Amino acid sequence: MIWLAWRQHRKQLLFTLLGFAALAALMVPIGLSMRHSFTELGLPDCVSQLARSDVDGAAANGCESAFRQFTNRYQSLNLVAVLLVVLPVLVGLFWGAPLVAREVEHGTHRFAWTQGVGRTRWALVKFGLAVVVTVTLAIGYGLGMAWWVSPLTQAAHEGRLGFIVFDLQGIAPIGYTLFAVALGIFAGTLWRRMLPAMGVTLAAFIGVRAAVAILARPHYQAARTRTFPIEGAEPLQESRGNWVLASGVRNPDGKMVAADTRIMCPPGGKGPDGHRCGEELGLQPGAYNWELYQPADRFWLFQWIETGIFVALAALLLYLAVRRIRRIA
Amino acid sequence: MEIALEAEQLGKRYGRTWALRDCSLRLPAGRIAALVGPNGAGKSTLLHLAVGLLRPDAGAVRIFGEAPYANPSVLPGIGFVAQDTPLYRDFTAAELVEAGRRMNKRWDGALARNRLAQLGIPPKLPVGKLSGGQRAQVALALALAKRPRLLLLDEPVASLDPLARREFLQSLMGSVADSETTVLLSSHLLADLERVCDYLVVLQAARVHLVGAVDDLVATHRQLVGPRHGGEPIDGVDAVVRASHTARQSTLLVRTSGDILAPEWTVHDVTLEDLVLAYLAEGETTTSHAAWEVPA
Repeated sequence: MIWLAWRQHRKQLLFTLLGFAALAALMVPIGLSMRHSFTELGLPDCVSQLARSDVDGAAANGCESAFRQFTNRYQSLNLVAVLLVVLPVLVGLFWGAPLVAREVEHGTHRFAWTQGVGRTRWALVKFGLAVVVTVTLAIGYGLGMAWWVSPLTQAAHEGRLGFIVFDLQGIAPIGYTLFAVALGIFAGTLWRRMLPAMGVTLAAFIGVRAAVAILARPHYQAARTRTFPIEGAEPLQESRGNWVLASGVRNPDGKMVAADTRIMCPPGGKGPDGHRCGEELGLQPGAYNWELYQPADRFWLFQWIETGIFVALAALLLYLAVRRIRRIA
Repeated sequence: MEIALEAEQLGKRYGRTWALRDCSLRLPAGRIAALVGPNGAGKSTLLHLAVGLLRPDAGAVRIFGEAPYANPSVLPGIGFVAQDTPLYRDFTAAELVEAGRRMNKRWDGALARNRLAQLGIPPKLPVGKLSGGQRAQVALALALAKRPRLLLLDEPVASLDPLARREFLQSLMGSVADSETTVLLSSHLLADLERVCDYLVVLQAARVHLVGAVDDLVATHRQLVGPRHGGEPIDGVDAVVRASHTARQSTLLVRTSGDILAPEWTVHDVTLEDLVLAYLAEGETTTSHAAWEVPA
């Protein structure tokens, strides 16, 4: 059986590996040059400095501008990162969807499933190998992307928990890729034709991924809040690495006055026409900045939760696919 | 007498349409049976039920006493060649023989290789590049290499030209003649199978119309020609299968259990083809005037 699967899919595997090699040939030089600039601008020191709480203002300002310089130079690469997020679904489309659908479309399932091993065994071996290949590819992808994207992530405020970068690295890609492949296989057992199966896989993958990322992920753990005054001598400290879910300025009674903004006035500062800081917005004395966030050190916890969700979904889909296969003739 | 394939009130439904209904038959082991019926009569459905690809919606089917659905222990005993002989087209014939070895515990690779060598099939060419006849031969060789007790062939010659048909059937007969293999092969044309089969199953519109050993069937049917017949009973006739009338004369195909002595009837023997055509014509055709929105 394993021999059959290998013989059947060796070309596909070769093309996949070639595609990966081509991608690596493109990405590795970019990644190297990005890391070179990162070191040249002295950013590794900045990262460790800013991680401390007692960082002095001048050094922080210098670092911020160096980060800005780096970000400006490599900003366009964020687009590349977005494009790379689609890789798992491609694996699902080209490995998952045809696995059963192509057999049925060509009628070869009537040959394969009437041999001595039977179709359940056939399905288990095929799905098992698909899972092994998928996990291997996804581990390579996750490690490679973590290496590639880390300068961009460190330079950005939201850190590794931010959208897109969270999805690119660590173990989450394993979950996504497994889910995409399982979805493709299951869609293939339902529609039994490659193109509809691929279309359904694409649509369902995007839907589920977006729903989990937007609706579920911010709530894996209760978010923390941070408050700080709207008046102070220090320039506004941006939080680094934390994933800010919501922010705004609140009055002392807790009422949100201005959402999605922050205010910082010098101590006792007055506006041009003698107003108190933020008075024209309706801020009362004692108003404060408010932030709801997931702290940066929850990265791995969130990765495990996210991966767990998608692996569980993948397992469910594969189970359903094995059951569906018994009903195909 | 061992029964290779037994169906009891077997039925299969797709949506609301029955593809096969109330199908009861027993195919004794060692027979070469033809499964004949027009396209869409349910032949493939019956074969798919027999090989366990489909689950019955009604009744039961048993292969040597065992239900084949979701029961892989039946599979080693069945050789199955599906319609249009689907094979992995990018595999070479040699690779397919190897694939068969990997997917079957009991596998006679030498038998397959010898057969294919004898037929002049190139071993290193992808089977997608072979002719339809050669591909059918590869599929048959793979089915035979399982050394099956029951060989099921679904329209194996439908896509072949007349010469390839004859060669295919000859080589099939040559290989099952000296084994105990029971064969059930389907076709929409009886002419394909008439010379090779000794058992007959006629399917039409999802139902079994006739089943039995060819010798018995021929022996128990007669064609009568005589004066115009109004439907009154005739001595020695069990049933009139089909009657056609001209102004003064009637031709009847009848099932008998004894001699027909009535002097006004001329009695002829029937050929298998007459018999099948008579039973197929007996099946009603349903009209679809309403669906076409034309007057009946």
